[in-house]
Amino acid sequence: MLEGRMAVVKPEMKSYIWLQTADGSIQQVEEEVAMFCPMICREVLQTGTGSSKNCAISLPQRVNAAILGLILDYCRFHQVPGRSNKERKTFDEKFIRLDTKKLCELTSAADSLQLRPLVDLTSRALARMIEGKTPEEIRETFHLPDDLTEEEKLEPLRNMTDDPRIRLLNRLYARKRKELKEREKLKNVEVEEEQHVDERSVDDLLSFINGEDEDSKGVRTTKSKKKNRRRKEQARNSSTNNETGNHNQESSFPASSCLNGDVPSPSKPSDLQDPAFDEGDIDDELDPVMKEEIDRDHPVISPSPVAIKPFMPAWAAVAFLGEVEDFARRLNSVWPERMQEILSFGQERRPVPVSVNGNDSLKRYTAGLDGR
Amino acid sequence: MAYSFPEEVLEHVFSFLSSDEDRNSVSLVCKSWYEIERWCRRRIFVGNCYAVSPSIMIRRFPEVRSVEFKGKPHFADFNLVPEGWGAYVHPWIVAMSRSYPWLEEIRLKRMVITDESLELISKSFKNFKVLVLSSCDGFTTDGLASIAANCRNIRELDLGESEVEDLSGHWLSHFPDSCTSLVSLNIACLASEISFLALERLVSRSPNLRTLRINRALPLEKLPNLLRRASQLFEFGTGAYSAEVRSDVFSNLTEAFSCCKQLKGLSGFWDIVPAYLPAIYPVCSRLTSLNLSYATCQNPDLGKLISQCHNLQRLWVLDYIEDTGLEELAANCKDLQELRVFPSDPFAPEPNATLTEQGLVAVSDGCPKLQSVLYFCRQMTNAALVTIARNRPNMIRFRLCIIEPRCPDYLTLGPLDAGFGAIVENCKELRRLSLSGLLTDRVFEYIGTHAKKLEMLSIAFAGDSDLGLHHVLSGCESLRKLEIRDCPFGDKALLANAAKLETMRSLWMSSCSVSFGACKLLAQKIPRLNVEVIDERGPPDTRPESCPVEKLYIYRSVAGPRFDKPGFVWTMDEEAAVRLS
Repeated sequence: MLEGRMAVVKPEMKSYIWLQTADGSIQQVEEEVAMFCPMICREVLQTGTGSSKNCAISLPQRVNAAILGLILDYCRFHQVPGRSNKERKTFDEKFIRLDTKKLCELTSAADSLQLRPLVDLTSRALARMIEGKTPEEIRETFHLPDDLTEEEKLEPLRNMTDDPRIRLLNRLYARKRKELKEREKLKNVEVEEEQHVDERSVDDLLSFINGEDEDSKGVRTTKSKKKNRRRKEQARNSSTNNETGNHNQESSFPASSCLNGDVPSPSKPSDLQDPAFDEGDIDDELDPVMKEEIDRDHPVISPSPVAIKPFMPAWAAVAFLGEVEDFARRLNSVWPERMQEILSFGQERRPVPVSVNGNDSLKRYTAGLDGR
Repeated sequence: MAYSFPEEVLEHVFSFLSSDEDRNSVSLVCKSWYEIERWCRRRIFVGNCYAVSPSIMIRRFPEVRSVEFKGKPHFADFNLVPEGWGAYVHPWIVAMSRSYPWLEEIRLKRMVITDESLELISKSFKNFKVLVLSSCDGFTTDGLASIAANCRNIRELDLGESEVEDLSGHWLSHFPDSCTSLVSLNIACLASEISFLALERLVSRSPNLRTLRINRALPLEKLPNLLRRASQLFEFGTGAYSAEVRSDVFSNLTEAFSCCKQLKGLSGFWDIVPAYLPAIYPVCSRLTSLNLSYATCQNPDLGKLISQCHNLQRLWVLDYIEDTGLEELAANCKDLQELRVFPSDPFAPEPNATLTEQGLVAVSDGCPKLQSVLYFCRQMTNAALVTIARNRPNMIRFRLCIIEPRCPDYLTLGPLDAGFGAIVENCKELRRLSLSGLLTDRVFEYIGTHAKKLEMLSIAFAGDSDLGLHHVLSGCESLRKLEIRDCPFGDKALLANAAKLETMRSLWMSSCSVSFGACKLLAQKIPRLNVEVIDERGPPDTRPESCPVEKLYIYRSVAGPRFDKPGFVWTMDEEAAVRLS
């Protein structure tokens, strides 16, 4: 309803603005307090609403009556011009002591009313509540669902069409997929949805890694230019020469593969540089669901709180971000025992060489431990 | 019942989280937070450039404004990593030039960056502001010229301790006259002379300049001209601090320093002429940071200078400071937090300065806020270490370098196990530790038992057997980086704790007893580890599998094995390994 552009103010009477919250309740608020909210201010000035009960301003849905009360308390205090910074700060510190639910509602409501200072205040408070917590603790605090699948937590490698290593992985998974489908027909395997320990034996791991060699035989779809290795001399040439010496690998270079089925001996220097692997014709998209199927090769023996998926490690999600203490702890708690088992396959055969590093080494090592 | 927020509100909340750890945690809470967080992440730190690929980073975080990458292992600083090892930043620059047009900051440590990369940076990022190159190499002053010429909004150009091929000093003139945005310029590592006039003009038109570190070639006499135009500096690095002793030069210098009312940090001081030291007395009382690690002056000049710096928080100095100077430091600088004492002549057969364990004990006693120590010395005792540990339970970084390998406690002639044991037992917040001296497996038992917050450990010429390494790998829960040289650690501990390696950023072992066979086994068992053998003797398979490798660098990675390896780096060919075993 447009009842003139401005609310009429009678000088001898205090003037009020009428507000209606989503639940239908209407209240009247001193004008100067209500106008402290930019959203309300705009409504009043642009549409002329709010001057009476009949044309109460409808507040956004995120503002319920209780929260409105809080917001108005805030406005009532801060709209008084004479207050010192210290006073305002003290008020804010007390004001912000709310339970999580209220704090969240308040943040949301303040944002919808465009009350920036209050949004900042509450956002900072929420940030403080998040600081130092683990993801589980944060979930608990804010009642959030644990809906990231293990794959997603572990940094799914989706749509990485330009990374040849991912194509390699995809190829492996595709083959495994086929295998699985065949096995499924034969076996009835009881599997858990997520969260199981990788119980595969070493041999399985190895055979998985090695995959089928047939495809990789002989086909070197190599784009491997022989790169000049970066040497100091090169730097002396003009920088335009760096073209070949540089490492614009992203699109064209194969990873040093673990799959050189037909390489007679490993790690010959010439091979090492860019052992090519052929780029198969499978789809490049790595489907994490498929991955899960592949990993559910074996029946679960005992559930554990940690799901370890080869190729998709827990820490991968934030591998490059430095610290993943909680994952480290989880890995530590599960792996050592497992690894002892797995490794005992290999260890029996290998005598561990015990060679004492010469006590006669008189090498100085000041350049050895630390420097500037 | 989740609390629903509009995305912008949640983004706003996240913007108040400063640590990467918190942002990591946030991203793992739930689907919606993961999504929101990745879109509003502005700053990325990649501790090992091979742990992840540019495409992974870019795909997950599309709106990054600031990146930091670290490349070569720390021991590269000590020439243990052969030339050409890797850590090339160019693929990152290329990828980011396509996907991050609004990138503002690049910080690199121990990486190889070429002039081509520098030019690409200067042309790809319109709002580029900060370039910090710590201990990098591979570029020349031509690359710097591109940055100067094209980065209109450049704020920070810091060359750290990089190795720059100095083709000419003219690159500085490439800063256009319109460039007035400089806040920080550090060219201390450059060898050749730069045009003083260009520098002077640049400084004059940079009212926001807060940090200026010039290079050695800049003569002392010219310093006052510079300082007068930049009296708002917070940090200043001199060039060569030497000139003929003349009173007019001296008074000019003193006056210029006096004008710098905000000066808090000083560095430089090559070729120091002690007579000119008093010129900085006017600023001493305000100094919080003093780097005299190139200053070859001795006591009493040195001590006299330091004793005036009552607000000093950080001191880097040569061993010329001696025990007496350190005692003065302890008496006068109660706010000291970090002390680094470097050896003036590490290769001299006899000590050339009277710097012993006493100096460090004195500082640990007198400076209650001391938390970070790097100390080169020639003798140590368990008693001293125990005292230091008891004095300073707040120690966070403790790096002790007794110059002679396997040097025992000079009083008892026994190992220093107990001393370092006391350090780890008392200093519960210890995050970084470097060991030296005569040490048995016992010290590692102490470390594994007590050093629960230890993140980085450096070991050289220590230990008796695999048990030592096992203690560390199985006990140090927070361990991220482990670097070992010349220790009798072999396969057993490594293989038994293989899984631990995935929880760490990296492991370096050189001149130890790890066999090639063990490396292959490790690589087979844990595919997500990149196991790299550095061996300049030729292909490891031409030697028996039990033969120890020269050097070993193991790091976790989601990017798979790297494909820019030089000829002397061998990764494990798993398939062939299976065939051979």
